[in-house]
Amino acid sequence: MLSSITSLYHKLFDKFWNPVLVTVIAGVLSALYFGVTQTYWAVTGEFTRLAGHIMSWFGFDPHQLSYMKIIKFQGSPLDRVDGWVVSGMLLGALMSALLGGNFKLRFPHQKRRIVQGLVGGMIAGFGARLAMGCNLASFFTGIPQFSFHAWLFMLGMATGSYVGVKAALHPLLRGKPRLEKASPGARNMQSSRSRVQPIIGLLVFCISIGLIVWEISGGHSKLGLAGLFGVAFGLLIQRGQICFTSAFRDLWVTGRGTMAKALALGIIAATLCTAVIIYLGVPQKIAWAGPGALIGGLLFGFGIVIAGGCETGWMYRAMEGQIQFVIVGIGNIIGAGILAWGWDHWGLFASLVKPYPKINLVSELGWSGAILSTVGLMLLWYAFASYWEKHVRYKANQKGQAVLMQANVEMKEIS
Amino acid sequence: MNGNQIIPTYTLNLEGEPCPYPVVYSLDVLEKLASGEILEIIADCPQSFQAVPEEAKRMGYVLLCEPVQEGPIIRFYILKP
Repeated sequence: MLSSITSLYHKLFDKFWNPVLVTVIAGVLSALYFGVTQTYWAVTGEFTRLAGHIMSWFGFDPHQLSYMKIIKFQGSPLDRVDGWVVSGMLLGALMSALLGGNFKLRFPHQKRRIVQGLVGGMIAGFGARLAMGCNLASFFTGIPQFSFHAWLFMLGMATGSYVGVKAALHPLLRGKPRLEKASPGARNMQSSRSRVQPIIGLLVFCISIGLIVWEISGGHSKLGLAGLFGVAFGLLIQRGQICFTSAFRDLWVTGRGTMAKALALGIIAATLCTAVIIYLGVPQKIAWAGPGALIGGLLFGFGIVIAGGCETGWMYRAMEGQIQFVIVGIGNIIGAGILAWGWDHWGLFASLVKPYPKINLVSELGWSGAILSTVGLMLLWYAFASYWEKHVRYKANQKGQAVLMQANVEMKEIS
Repeated sequence: MNGNQIIPTYTLNLEGEPCPYPVVYSLDVLEKLASGEILEIIADCPQSFQAVPEEAKRMGYVLLCEPVQEGPIIRFYILKP
C-alpha cells in the first residue's frame, strides 16, 4: 500500500507534466467550473477588487467608480467566488511546488528585472481590465464563451507580445548573463531533492481541503467549490508550467511552438464542453468587441513579455518563491486599479468600449457556425504555430544563427 | 559519455533569471563557443528545464547527459560539436 502511494507520488511529482494533457484537462475543468459557479475562470477581476480595497484604505470610496459596479465589488475576497478561486489557485500552486520540491526563494541577479516586473505587471493589469479580462477571461475561457471580443484580444495579444519581445531583448532590458570559467574538476551527477518540502506541501493540502470543507459545511457550497476548483487549477498550472505568455513569446523568440499548440488544443476542449453547459441554460458572458479589447490585448501582450509572465504565470511562480513575480502581481493590482479609475475619469469607457457592440457568435452564426468558427480559429492557430516553427528555424539557419531575434550578448570572457 | 567524466569549459549561471532569458542567453553563449568546448548551465526557472535542452538539441548541440536536478535547481552539460 505504502509503496504504491510513493510510486504514484514519484510519478506525479518528479517531473513536470505534459503541457498538452494539462491544458486539455484545464479546458474541461474550466467548463465544469463555469457550470458549477455560473462564472468563468478568471483572476484579474478579483485583482481589480483588491485594488478597490486598497483605495478604501486610503480614504477613497471605490464604490463611486462605475468599473467597480460592473465587476460587482462588494464584501471581502472570502465572500466572492473569484476570491475563492484566486486563493485556491495560490494554495494549489504552493502545494504543488512544495510537493515537487520546486520551492526556492529566488531573487533576480539583475536589478532591472524588478523594475521590469513592476512596470510590465502594471501595463498588463491595465490592458487586461480594459479588455474585461486577462488571457483567461478574454482568451482561454473567453473564446469558449463565443464572445467575439476574445478574438480581438487574441489578435492584440499576439501583436503586443511581438513588440514585447523586441523590447525585452533590447540592450537596456536584456542585461548580461554571468558567464565564468568553469571551476575545475568533475561534477557530482546525482540528482537530489528536498525531503522537507513535500511534508510542508502535504500540510498545505490538508489546510486547503479543511478550508473548503468548512466553507461547504457552512452552507456556502458555491464558494467552497470555487476554492476546490482553484486548488485544482493551481496544481495544474504549476505542474504543467502553463505559461500563457510563452504561447506567443516563444514563437517570436526561437520559433518554439510547444505551448501555442498545447493551448490551441486546450481551448478546443474548453469550447466543446462550454458549449454543452451554455446549451443547458447557463447564460454566456459576452463583452464589448471594440478597440478596448484590441488595445487591451496589445498592452497586455506587451506587458506580460516585459514582466516575464502573465496573470496565471506570476501566480504559480510567486508560489515557487520567485520574488520577481510577487512584484509582477503587485504591478497587476496597481495597473487594474488605474484602469478602474481611468474608466470614468479619462473617459476610457465612453470612448473605447461603450459605443461598440457585444457580439455573441452563437446569436450571430447559430450553434454550428459558432462552434465551427471557434474550433476553426484554433486549428488555424495550431497550423500557424507549426508553420512558424519551421519558418523561423529555416530563416535563422539561413542567416547562420540560432534564433531569429538575437540578443547579441557580449562575452568578454570568451573573446 | 559517463556523466562523472564531464569537465565543463564555462559555467553560465542563470539563477534568478526568468524567461525568455535562459534560452536566449544559452543559445547566444553556445554559438560563441569553440568546437569541443562544454558549457555548464545552471538554471532555476522551471520553464527553462524543457526549453533549454529542447532548443539546444535542435541547434545541433549535444546534451552530454541527463540534466542534474538538485531540488529547484537544474544543471545541463552541453557540448558544441
